[in-house]
Amino acid sequence: MFLIFLAILVSVVQNAFVLHLLIMVFTSIALGLAWNIIGGYGGQLSFGHAAFYGIGAYTSTLLFVHFGLTPWVGMIAGGVLAVLVSLVLGMPCFRLRGTYFTLATIAFAEVLRILTVYFKEITGGSIGIVLQFKGGFWNLMFRNREPFAYIALALMALVYYLSVWIENSRLGYYLSALKENEDGARALGINTYRSKLVALMISAFLTSLVGSFFAQYLTFIEPESEFSLGLSIAISLPVMIGGIGTAIGPVIGAFIITPLQELLRIYISGEYQGLQSIIYGIVLVLVVIYIPQGIHKWARGIVSAKSRS
Amino acid sequence: MLIIIGQSLISGILMGGIYALVSIGLTLIFGVMNVVNFAHGEFLMIAMYMTFWVFHYLHIDPYISLFIVTPVLFLIGVVTQRFLIQHLIQAEHYTQIFATVGMSTVMANAALFFWKADYRMVKTAYGSATLNFSDLVISYPRLVSFLMAIAITILLFIFLKHTYLGRAIRATSQDNIGAKLMGVNIDRVYIFTFGLGSACVGVAGALLMPIYYAFPTVGLHFVLTAFVVVVLGGMGNITGALFGGLLIGVVESFSGFFISPELKEAVYFVIFVIVLLFKPSGLFGLSKG
Repeated sequence: MFLIFLAILVSVVQNAFVLHLLIMVFTSIALGLAWNIIGGYGGQLSFGHAAFYGIGAYTSTLLFVHFGLTPWVGMIAGGVLAVLVSLVLGMPCFRLRGTYFTLATIAFAEVLRILTVYFKEITGGSIGIVLQFKGGFWNLMFRNREPFAYIALALMALVYYLSVWIENSRLGYYLSALKENEDGARALGINTYRSKLVALMISAFLTSLVGSFFAQYLTFIEPESEFSLGLSIAISLPVMIGGIGTAIGPVIGAFIITPLQELLRIYISGEYQGLQSIIYGIVLVLVVIYIPQGIHKWARGIVSAKSRS
Repeated sequence: MLIIIGQSLISGILMGGIYALVSIGLTLIFGVMNVVNFAHGEFLMIAMYMTFWVFHYLHIDPYISLFIVTPVLFLIGVVTQRFLIQHLIQAEHYTQIFATVGMSTVMANAALFFWKADYRMVKTAYGSATLNFSDLVISYPRLVSFLMAIAITILLFIFLKHTYLGRAIRATSQDNIGAKLMGVNIDRVYIFTFGLGSACVGVAGALLMPIYYAFPTVGLHFVLTAFVVVVLGGMGNITGALFGGLLIGVVESFSGFFISPELKEAVYFVIFVIVLLFKPSGLFGLSKG
């Protein structure tokens, strides 16, 4: 289906820029879907997901650069670490509701960022780490973009099918219940605390995988881009725009927002520094205010209204 | 050693006054309108730039241009509320967060676009002036900001308690539907409150210029601190914001000295999470809930 079309697309496209765009879109979708598991299905809005992304990026990179460990394993290591860290976040903070939880996640990612800068001897501090090019599949580094695009596509597919599976599983129904009314769900006997934790762990693991992948793609990491609040927001943005709480939402959102962002950055940013973000911000504000339910539901609404009339 | 502690304490309290000023506006807005305003820091940034340009072109001292900047910020707040925030009041919190983050992106990047990324400073005669008590050094501009923070808190307190509009604001913050039933024009209250909150931040911005520098993303640092202060003091509680601000200032100062300057933000974020967990209604238990 759509995935096969995308795979063919990747194999056909030669233009490096378009491939880059596709990679950005695929990773955007993967991140958005991962975030959606706790944010959309669970209704617990985290603006600290950059924490997990950064853990993935730094773990696999440090293992790769210092020990030559293949990023494919490093990714898993990063994922496990991210899961443990997510427990540190979730266990105390899932007692918080709504905005308070969100604020806690922001503080959490910020603390990680500050710690990463502080422990310079290990992490390279603000200077960041450059990944030396060592080509090959096991090093997850390639001279051209096509292999990266395939891997990104595979990651995206993995997260997508996982999302759909969760959505229709018992966990999915528990999350849906506690999102609507947590006290009601608990009254029904659902262990909401555990459901939230499981969702967060899965979300953290997947986010971390993407972080590791992207570190290999960009070959440079530094605390500001891996742990910043801006990144956390950028992760959840396609979900918000496309339709929060659905699997297809982040896909739609990413296909709209990510190319917009990249194109704006490339065509406008050079001459008029900052203008692209102004446009981007205005679009964001307008969409959020006028289509808060996300484009997917909005479009469905229009279609069903038309079919009724 | 005692002197170092004393010095740290004083620097902390003085800086805390500024945090308090920034946070008072935020807590007022949150208390009355229940809106999470991530763009609050950008209002501070605007105030700072305005102070800078007034100083640069008209050579008016920040402490005087304060009286120009504050009303302008009030107006900007009113306009923002009327055209943007108004739509967000009924919205879900995540919508508010995303929308205000979008606003903050637009504002910070507009500043970048128009005024470039250079750091702007205001050089005043009293900028590095200090008062010396035995071995303790008190920075004059920081002392002024601190005193202003106290003054504004007192003024706000009196305003909220004794004027009709102040009571209307308090009523709306307690129960907006009830206030509406009592004849309060809550739309006007929202507009005024947002303007008032922005004006507070305007004062903070003007007072910050002699001791800090303006750059497009200066808002981000202060807004995160402001959120910590607001939660600490209790969302909606003005005196809480004052004490919370002072407390954070002191914590930052002490952790900067005794632990490490790089970790001082981490320390108060950790405290933030701890307070959220154990006393989400604020250290003084005075929040709306």
